[in-house]
Amino acid sequence: MSATILLPGEELPSDSLPKTKKGTLTLGPGLRHIPPTSITATTSGSISVDNKKSAVWLENTNGRYQPSTGDLVIAQVHHGSTDTYHCALTPQTPFALLGQLAFEGASKKSRPHLLSGDLVYARVSRAVKGEDVELEGFNSATGKSEGMGQLKGGMVFEVSPAFARRLMMGSKGGVKILEGVGEKIRFEVAVGRNGRVWVDSGNVRTTAAIGRLLTSSDENAWDVEEQEKALKKALKDMS
Amino acid sequence: MPREAEPSNNAKAFLLQALRENVRLDGRAFDEFRQIDLSFGDEYGVATARLGKTKVMVRVSSEVVKASADRKFDGVFTISTELSPIASPAFEVGRQDQAEVLLSRILEKTIRRSGALDTESLCIIAGQKCFHVRADVHVLDHDGSLVDASCLALVAALMHYRRPDFEVRGEEVQIFDPREREPIKLSMQHQPFCVTFGYYEDGSVMLLDSTLLEEQCREGEVMISMNRFGEICQIAKYSGEPVDAMSVLNCMNVALEKVKVFDKLVKAKLEEDEKRRDVGGLMAELSAENAR
Repeated sequence: MSATILLPGEELPSDSLPKTKKGTLTLGPGLRHIPPTSITATTSGSISVDNKKSAVWLENTNGRYQPSTGDLVIAQVHHGSTDTYHCALTPQTPFALLGQLAFEGASKKSRPHLLSGDLVYARVSRAVKGEDVELEGFNSATGKSEGMGQLKGGMVFEVSPAFARRLMMGSKGGVKILEGVGEKIRFEVAVGRNGRVWVDSGNVRTTAAIGRLLTSSDENAWDVEEQEKALKKALKDMS
Repeated sequence: MPREAEPSNNAKAFLLQALRENVRLDGRAFDEFRQIDLSFGDEYGVATARLGKTKVMVRVSSEVVKASADRKFDGVFTISTELSPIASPAFEVGRQDQAEVLLSRILEKTIRRSGALDTESLCIIAGQKCFHVRADVHVLDHDGSLVDASCLALVAALMHYRRPDFEVRGEEVQIFDPREREPIKLSMQHQPFCVTFGYYEDGSVMLLDSTLLEEQCREGEVMISMNRFGEICQIAKYSGEPVDAMSVLNCMNVALEKVKVFDKLVKAKLEEDEKRRDVGGLMAELSAENAR
């Protein structure tokens, strides 16, 4: 697969647009529409196209996480105020706001009490340039938690945002570690787009081993073969 | 005021639970260092040390200055440490934070005050001229064990550095360019290294070469500097829980082993570098023949 690389300011070539007739074109991160007809890159990266969703975006491995609406993230509560929690998505960046009532079944009387340093699996509900990022701990359309909420126990590992995205893509992302471990060991995992992966297997040794597999796969840019090799070795050590 | 991001409660609890079960997050043993990597630059006196993700570069340079009036027979040796935002966004330019004060104090005590560098050999004319050797410590990446990595890089850079040769004729001093005369190694009296021990669980767990996360969770630390003969240059324990005296004695034995490893590593790397620079002896250097 040969990827076309764009630099900031370059125009998206029209032949790399998604090949679908129906629906409107969706522009993902790194691209900007300049009316009437041109689409330019705002960062450097390789073009990725999803024909089914009629979407096009730029993939890159550099940089810190930039919140965008709908992303699932692992936020760390920094402090709380009267009706919101101020959460850090990435260190040294402005806090994102998480409503104290933005959890499944939360009411004024019963709501989760989070302390400074607690982790929450949340979704970015609003990310507008120049304003505070807003998070929610449940799906506000359905009122269901859908797996979001406070993360208790376990360990959170730091990976690059690009790797986190690959993890979330499942088998298409080319990371076989989670599936591979899951065949042998029972564990819980939550992947945040902000480059954090929370793992809990109930056992310190296994959780640490899974985390090590993930972080070293990210740092050394392992391909599937290398991942499987490391996975085999790690599973042998675990059992 | 920027500061290092606090680890989450989950991470802290997990790390401590793991230590209780004899597990370290990166799979190392408690007394195991991360991969140590030492490399030298093209110039003399530039050394870069890596301890896992921690990366420190030291550059040693020298100039001729007027000797100070009260130390007529000594040269000047200064160590400058500055933590810049390149290492971590928690460091700010121009503001000294605790990590920086600690780093410069320990380096000062370990290397300058222990007399590792023979400053008398830096004197050119007593009371008039001497060399000022300056070591700039640049921390390029911070993932724990800053002091250990900086100390290693600093000693390596000092051993690698060569000062220009000089000749005194009466009152006149002639400093020779490296091309005129081969520069001279600094005279080192010994090579001290620093080893930091982190304490957890009321001193029952002791870790070597902590990562940043481990540093943030530890209860106290003891920094021991010594040379390969086991001569202790300094012991520092600035804060944290009290530590049992017997365990400090134990630390010293562990530190000695590690220091011997450091010493060997630095010498091996210096030899390697020497070989790389040596183009093939005097004859090859004097030859005017071009490679065609």
